Amino acid sequence: MADTGRRLLIIERAYRGGVETQFADVLYFARELNRQQGGLDILLRGLAVTFAAADPAPTPVLHLAGRELDTLPDPRAAVRTLLAEGAGIWAQDGELERFGAGPGWLLEGVRPTSDAAFPDWPGYRSVHFL
Amino acid sequence: MGGGTGRELPRADMLIAIMGAPHTGDLVTSAFRLAQALLERGASVHLWTCGHATGLTRTSLGDEKPRNVVDWARAYPTTAALAAELLAAHPAKLHWFACRFCSQERGADAHIPGIRLRAPFKFTEHLEAADKSFFLGVC
Repeated sequence: MADTGRRLLIIERAYRGGVETQFADVLYFARELNRQQGGLDILLRGLAVTFAAADPAPTPVLHLAGRELDTLPDPRAAVRTLLAEGAGIWAQDGELERFGAGPGWLLEGVRPTSDAAFPDWPGYRSVHFL
Repeated sequence: MGGGTGRELPRADMLIAIMGAPHTGDLVTSAFRLAQALLERGASVHLWTCGHATGLTRTSLGDEKPRNVVDWARAYPTTAALAAELLAAHPAKLHWFACRFCSQERGADAHIPGIRLRAPFKFTEHLEAADKSFFLGVC
């Protein structure tokens, strides 16, 4: 097996907090780790595959006591940023099928893959479930 | 009020009990949205936090979250700040209670002004004081 020298992050649990989380979601951490590591790979599984939808979705805004809170987590935007910053992103195809993700649903640059094909476990320097 | 045990409590159209933990799903956001929607329509609301949700209004959170390293100048309100704003906007219609045991157990019993600590065995009075109760998550 080829040693990629990279680290792999596996994200399965999605939508962990809104008003209490805001910018500081799991992908915020992944972004900083990607910067420090000079590149890493991310596998989206479970509900987290919806992070990789091509449709940017409306910016979530919460109206609260006269305030418009527009800093809620935006994982689809975060995935775009991660791709632009050189992270490799895969999405589990079985989960994509469960969401009825047809042609054009997945964000360009995100690679659909099966459990059989990805990841190459020993090829990674380390694997982290986030 | 049944049994005379709830004398201190105002009546409420709805009690929203946040039992589940923050940072695990959308339940805290749902609680804020639901409270806002009810208050906008003139309803009276009681909020009760248990377990890790008691940390939502701890004084030590301050008004702003720690800085975002990739958007340094932007301010992000804490849940304590949002709770204070909600309470200030609806002083007569919104009452917010936190479980004393859960707060103390987690070192979160220093709450922002407006949050009333209540013993867990008083929870039944809160159920009696509200026409409807809505539970979000489990402790």
